[in-house]
Amino acid sequence: MKAKHLVWIRRISQTFFLLLFLFLLVQSRLPQDVFHEYSLVFSSELDLKIDQPVAFFFQLDPLVSLSSLLSGHHLIKGFWWGLGLLLMTLFLGKIFCGFICPLGTIHHVVSWIRPALKGERMVHANQKSPTQRVKYFLLITLLLGAITGLNIAGLMDPISLLFRSIALAVLPGLGVGLKEFFDWMANSNMKLLNLLSYGGEVLVSPVFGYGYQSYQTAWFIGLIFLVILFMNRIRPRFWCRVLCPLGALLGIFSRMSMLRLEKDHEKCTKCTLCAKDCQGAATPVPGQDWENAECLLCFNCFDSCPEGALAFRFRWSPKLNKGPDMGRRAVLGALAAGISIPLLGRLDGQVHKVSEPRLIRPPGSLPEKDFLTLCQRCGLCMKVCPTNVINPTLVEAGMAGFWTPRLIMIQGYCEYTCTLCGGVCPTGAIREFSVKEKIERPIVIGSAYVDRGRCLPWSGNGPCIVCEEHCPTSPKAIYFRKEIVTGPDRKSMPIQLPYMDLKKCVGCGICEYKCPVRGRPAIRVISAGESRSLRNRILL
Amino acid sequence: MDMNHFITRRTALKRLLKISGSLALYASSAWSFRGPGSAWAKSEKKGLIVEGVGQTEGYSVRELTRKVLEAAGGITRFVSRGDVVVIKPNLSWARRPDLGATTNPEVLEGLIEICYEAGAKKVRIADHTIHDARRCFAITGAATVAKKTNADLIYPRSSLMKNMKLNGHRLDVWPVFVPLVEADKVINLPVAKHHSLSTLTLGIKNWIGAVGGRRHALHQDIHQSTVDLAQFFNPTLILIDATRIMIKNGPSGGSLSDVAAKNTLILSDDQVAADALAAMLFGYRPEEIGSISLAKKWGLGTYDFRQLDQKKVIL
Repeated sequence: MKAKHLVWIRRISQTFFLLLFLFLLVQSRLPQDVFHEYSLVFSSELDLKIDQPVAFFFQLDPLVSLSSLLSGHHLIKGFWWGLGLLLMTLFLGKIFCGFICPLGTIHHVVSWIRPALKGERMVHANQKSPTQRVKYFLLITLLLGAITGLNIAGLMDPISLLFRSIALAVLPGLGVGLKEFFDWMANSNMKLLNLLSYGGEVLVSPVFGYGYQSYQTAWFIGLIFLVILFMNRIRPRFWCRVLCPLGALLGIFSRMSMLRLEKDHEKCTKCTLCAKDCQGAATPVPGQDWENAECLLCFNCFDSCPEGALAFRFRWSPKLNKGPDMGRRAVLGALAAGISIPLLGRLDGQVHKVSEPRLIRPPGSLPEKDFLTLCQRCGLCMKVCPTNVINPTLVEAGMAGFWTPRLIMIQGYCEYTCTLCGGVCPTGAIREFSVKEKIERPIVIGSAYVDRGRCLPWSGNGPCIVCEEHCPTSPKAIYFRKEIVTGPDRKSMPIQLPYMDLKKCVGCGICEYKCPVRGRPAIRVISAGESRSLRNRILL
Repeated sequence: MDMNHFITRRTALKRLLKISGSLALYASSAWSFRGPGSAWAKSEKKGLIVEGVGQTEGYSVRELTRKVLEAAGGITRFVSRGDVVVIKPNLSWARRPDLGATTNPEVLEGLIEICYEAGAKKVRIADHTIHDARRCFAITGAATVAKKTNADLIYPRSSLMKNMKLNGHRLDVWPVFVPLVEADKVINLPVAKHHSLSTLTLGIKNWIGAVGGRRHALHQDIHQSTVDLAQFFNPTLILIDATRIMIKNGPSGGSLSDVAAKNTLILSDDQVAADALAAMLFGYRPEEIGSISLAKKWGLGTYDFRQLDQKKVIL
């Protein structure tokens, strides 16, 4: 096949997979128009589900499967996609990096649109450098950490990173901009602008969904994403060359690859055009060894060689390709780091000793120890949550649980009959559960308590039953006693005072969310009482 | 136009500004604020009230809806050809319809069909739900009804909430769900339920679902707030769904044991009368319900049924 064709096939494939990734990301939400035949509605408790396979890229990513297997001893749903990819890598090399990886494609495009370096300087930047060992260091650290009980692979995994960055930072960022624009139009006194505002909202709703999401500390996620995009100006595909642990894993698996770069020394004129276009810094120039484990299979060198001195060919040979250059010190360092990280993560005692009251996990979450062996911190549950209650943690779950999901009840609440987060979690850190189970078992995520100093009836500031009104359990977990309370003006009034029945409370947080006392609501939910933990329960 | 010259960014911007400026001028000249007429003033017209009861086993709720409207003299008395009709059901909770927390979808379907038959240009369903609107519309059956009957389902988006002057005794300016104001005819379609603060939630209280903002603060003076809202929205018709009523654990319920079958629909053009008759289904006297007695006091209507044209339909 001609080099030109190969490059075009690569571009088409990259575009296709990037678009597929973005499509599935956008679809990771409750669709707006869900129709149910209501005669069916009468008879059954409905589970609203997402039809699209939104976790597909996580299943395709062998690092997700491997780290879940090593850490949580759990084979994730659809793991055979990742297995298939590893098998393909054995024979074809890092074809995933060049043809499929959406994050790689974004880096590729950013590096290509406006190269920061020209001519000789680009050739120099594309020389293989020892910093490329960092990714092997990271891979070994992450996998060893996973084996010893803390799975933080998702912090660096390209699919998790990209999903988290786009779903929690890029899209909501654009969404806020649009919202401000639409609100400005809606508040205008011109009928035409009002209509345009509504029309605009409807128009963007296929992408931004219904309502606008916001995420605590997402600025940090967005900033990191911008920084790694910027690094492409120092070296093309900096992330892929230096940092990507999935690239490192695939590099190790590409040793037997039959797809090899063959160099013809006779024809080479040392023009170094191949090195100038090389995306992976894999030394394509004849005269030096081709770095098979670094090659992203972009086929640029093949395409750019004016003399036909380079060609990719399928050739079976019992001889292995050149192995990845990991560096002994990097490997030793990674072994030390991999063992230390889970220990560091345990230092705060969150797994064994203390329970952070603010760490309210989504319903269906595994016990904390198991949760940390599986959660990829990808943000899929946060993206899919219809009330926007699930947010990434910063410090609440300690260092070990950085960016794992937690519920912030002043931002949303857990809807009583919603099961979406459990349905989409790619690794089962939040296991799948049904509406029936959620209600009847029930799945408890925390418990509410009344802050009597702030509560309007308790403090004599007026009648209010909003928490009780919204309480979704039947019978309600919030109940009243009629009492006489002295108000601020010394007048006594008969009033209904809210009390909690902890046996019935599931910790959904709608009381906290709807409480009219703003800022710090007068009824609040803490994680105590959650059914996933035996230690953190309250009642006998 | 001279196509040989490239349009520079500057000229393009200038042109766009000119076009949008003239559009804006045109629009502002066409725009005039039109709120609904205040209902504080007593109307002299004789009101009507119809009670429809389904007594035969397996009666059709849609048929009962139709019969009730026929008894009221036909929908054409209230809806004219070319009208935009906005229906305000109670779809607050993402609950199955049989749990009685939301308006029966069959009543909704029947009503929309009848409005279209009367020649309505467009029928819209608008509610500012408490649970996530997508889930509410899907689970209560309203989305299916909208699709079946070709009615518009209006989602409570932030751009549709607009500050308006309510002229209330308690509420002055409050964000209002705009589609309900911009309708030719508004029909209130509540479900009859128990409520822990206002005792019952019927037609007058259903207007809480038509406003935005800090609406949970309204509970601090629930009766006057809801009466103010009822006065502002002043619907053409009130149809109360009491096919099954929630007798305890309201307003969200969640269990079939909270629900009792009444197989009743109440239709009126008098907000007070409709609520009063519904309250009697629960065994209350109308004056026991704060919002009803207050609404009567302020002249929104009457629960002296002798002053009304009273009818009863049995199916």
